[in-house]
Amino acid sequence: MIPLKYNLRSLSVRWVTTLLTCLAIGIVVCASVLTFGMIEGIEHALTSSGDATDLIIMRKGSNNELSSTIAPTAARDLINLDGIAKDAQGQPLASREFITVLIQPRRNAGGTANVIVRGLDKVGRELRPNFTIVEGRDLEAGVNELIVSKSISTRFENLGLDGSIEINNVNFRVVGLFEAGGSAAESEVWADLRDLTSAQRYNGAVSVVNMRVPEEADRQAIIDRVRENDQFKLSAVVESDYFEDQKSSSLAIKVIAYIIAAFLTFGAMFAAANTMYAAVSSRAREIGTLRALGFARSTILVSFMLESLVICLIGGILGCLATLPLNGLSGGTQNAATFSEITFSFRFGPKVLLQGMGLALAMGLIGGFFPAIRAIRMQITNALRQS
Amino acid sequence: MSTPSNTDPVVLVRDVYKEFRKGETVIPVLAGMDLELLPGDYLAMMGPSGSGKSTLLNLIAGLDKPTSGSVIVCGQDLGKTSQSALAKWRSRHVGFIFQMYNLIPVLTAYENVELPLTLTPLSRKQRVEQVKTALEIVGLGDRMDHYPRQLSGGQEQRVSIARAIATDPTLIVADEPTGDLDAKSGNEILELMHRLNEEFHKTIIMVTHDPSAAARAKRTLTMADGRLVSDIQNSTATGTTA
Ligand SMILES: Nc1ncnc2c1ncn2[C@@H]1O[C@H](COP(=O)(O)OP(=O)(O)O)[C@@H](O)[C@H]1O
Ligand SMILES: [Mg+2]
Repeated sequence: MIPLKYNLRSLSVRWVTTLLTCLAIGIVVCASVLTFGMIEGIEHALTSSGDATDLIIMRKGSNNELSSTIAPTAARDLINLDGIAKDAQGQPLASREFITVLIQPRRNAGGTANVIVRGLDKVGRELRPNFTIVEGRDLEAGVNELIVSKSISTRFENLGLDGSIEINNVNFRVVGLFEAGGSAAESEVWADLRDLTSAQRYNGAVSVVNMRVPEEADRQAIIDRVRENDQFKLSAVVESDYFEDQKSSSLAIKVIAYIIAAFLTFGAMFAAANTMYAAVSSRAREIGTLRALGFARSTILVSFMLESLVICLIGGILGCLATLPLNGLSGGTQNAATFSEITFSFRFGPKVLLQGMGLALAMGLIGGFFPAIRAIRMQITNALRQS
Repeated sequence: MSTPSNTDPVVLVRDVYKEFRKGETVIPVLAGMDLELLPGDYLAMMGPSGSGKSTLLNLIAGLDKPTSGSVIVCGQDLGKTSQSALAKWRSRHVGFIFQMYNLIPVLTAYENVELPLTLTPLSRKQRVEQVKTALEIVGLGDRMDHYPRQLSGGQEQRVSIARAIATDPTLIVADEPTGDLDAKSGNEILELMHRLNEEFHKTIIMVTHDPSAAARAKRTLTMADGRLVSDIQNSTATGTTA
């Protein structure tokens, strides 16, 4: 084996080229890790929203909460079904919820976007993972107050703490900001159920009922009972399945992201290959000498591949490091299922970083392969005659 | 590995033709060369530029194969040996000295000399020993950590000689080893080559344009147009400058 210091020192002799190539590769890896991190973030938001012990009851045939309605009487029956968990006060952990969409201006003159506004029973908070008020206080029912997810509040003009918006000419004031473990609730604005429905002139209307049913058997019983009740025409789905379905909305983003990453990677491979071709042709006589001394073609191939890998892995590490300051930073995009803004946090876990390093590895291997092949295909006597 | 006895030729070139192809045209370079070298021979090859000296040297060193005829060196029929086996064979039997020294610029003198030893099964300790010995023979024991750019041309060529002898090969091939050096440095190189032959019994083939350099070999072969013109024993061969 040709000592690695041979490659490392050759790289440092050509440090400007090496650095530029590392940077090009780093930028591509960084961009790819950002997109992968975004996809992870979106999927995490949807996954962490779905609890396998929670049920969502919707109108039969609707595939998202927005298009569902449940008669108020049916909703009252549903929250009193057997098998529903109870909170500390003995109230059933079942929440009637009304969902509507408002068009709201974004901050920094960013145009407008749809925001989900959810009116819900107080107990609904316990059905969300790690629901906490992080600023201000929780809303009080009956006085038209709102609480807003922290990430939505930073993205919309009037939804900061103490901001206010009109819903059907009724003024609602933001009194608190909340977080909910990165779940879908973090893309929402919450009001009291009755406040919201009366503003909307749908007094007492309900879109969905959310409930916690810890026992598998009870869950199945409720699912069956809801399905068999012809009067109400409802269906119950396990919450985790519901959000699994919603993930299809991130599929398009995912496909586009992978295509872009593939193109960028392809480009970066050319950068790596170009650098290595230059290295091979400027070191022809060295290669001829190594072969004359008795180094096998395969050894020289490996040596040049390693050199290419070193460049790409350094680039990859730089690219990954560059994304770290953005870890946890939130962004927003449109949910294709509900056409409303969903927020997510970039997540650069080991999986995403490994994907980024995997790309760097691919660039190094493929970008280095063809130049290395050129290096070993030279006739020794010709290589030795190069200046 | 067959060890030739003292009288078996180290090099045996028989009726060798070598031509190069450039597209349609065929360039004949060697046209029926014969040559025999016994152990301990020191041969100088002369002749006009383009007469085929380097081509013949490359065939003997196992860097290229003849178009026809046989080249048998250290008992190995090189024309019938695979590329990978040839590489291994070169690392055991041939030491190379080039006109432009061909040291690896990013490696120190020590590392350059060590390079061919990494192809041998020697232990690290034995390698250190041999590198030091080789560098001391060429008088550069105190320059081990110098990079080629920190050495003069003559010193670089001495490092390259150390590299050529580090693996203790049977045959040393040198293509115009003094061609790029001033007279004084060139002389030092020729002194060294003489020592390698006399003291260490290396069989040497050296291509040169300089008649006084050739005169210090034991034998001078002259080529023209890919053929042998003359092959004479140098009666006055000595290790010292005339
Ligand atoms: N690889 C090659 N391809 C084509 N022609 C070559 C090649 N090597 C040598 N030649 C030609 O062979 C002839 C002899 O070259 P060479 O052996 O290097 O001569 P010398 O060393 O005696 O000056 C020259 O005309 C040279 O151009
Ligand atoms: Mg020549």
